[in-house]
Amino acid sequence: MKYLLITLSLMLSATTAYAANIDITGTVQSRCIVNTDTAGMYGNPNAYTLTTVPASAGQLPIVRVDVSLANAYNAKISYPTSFSSSPSLGDTVAWTGAATVVQTSTSDMSGYQAASSLSGAMRTYALTVAGTTWFSVASVATYGGGQQKPFPGGSYKAVVLAECIAQ
Amino acid sequence: MYRSIILSILLCSNAIAHEMTPTYPTWESSYMEGIKKTTMAMFNRRPDVEYYEIGVFDKEWKPVPFVTSYKIINLKYLSHVKFDVYMSAKHSAKAEYICSTSKLRGDNVMIASKICSRFK
Repeated sequence: MKYLLITLSLMLSATTAYAANIDITGTVQSRCIVNTDTAGMYGNPNAYTLTTVPASAGQLPIVRVDVSLANAYNAKISYPTSFSSSPSLGDTVAWTGAATVVQTSTSDMSGYQAASSLSGAMRTYALTVAGTTWFSVASVATYGGGQQKPFPGGSYKAVVLAECIAQ
Repeated sequence: MYRSIILSILLCSNAIAHEMTPTYPTWESSYMEGIKKTTMAMFNRRPDVEYYEIGVFDKEWKPVPFVTSYKIINLKYLSHVKFDVYMSAKHSAKAEYICSTSKLRGDNVMIASKICSRFK
């Protein structure tokens, strides 16, 4: 009986609840996420052109950039200026392209395209508002150094670069 | 209401993403004298990417020598990784950016993602 009482008292003491204030702390950190929403595809409207423009049977690649805090990142979007793989090409390829803001999560971002700057193939956007921005990238490759030569048959690959650089 | 709908769509969408934190890493002392260390975290939500290359650069985007377990990290889809970057104290003073870049395998027009954190 004595042992039973001791055991019970120990069990009760082990399950006694203590009231205390517990702080919950948290930190909101800046963060950038680069999403590849839509893979691009080249259309071949004529023998000497490859293009991602939908009107020419191409598909524009869409990149989505999410930032959790304002003024923490710059987005840099570059269209391709070479093929990452292709058949052997004996002539020059002329590259053109453009990055464009196609959608934003808030209207505060509507000035992103106008405020962006272009350096070669790369367009830089200051992400001054927290939220999501969608960018499309047009790319056109023309073969033959202006003489409209047909691209050799085969598979062509090119790379769009989407960067998120901390400010 | 509008924002919560957008957030719900974002959370439910099958996004293909690359993420690296912190945005502003700091150097701390390592267990070796004269060597600094910082810890970064990455998350791979890109099923088309299994490898990411790590690089450290100065203000002019010139590479700065550093040491990590693997400069090209194998990171499977939906995996997290934490990795330490070590650098001599002399070089750490020059380091401005630490970047991870996706290594691509795929067809047609591919999208390479690159995220750079900055030492401040």
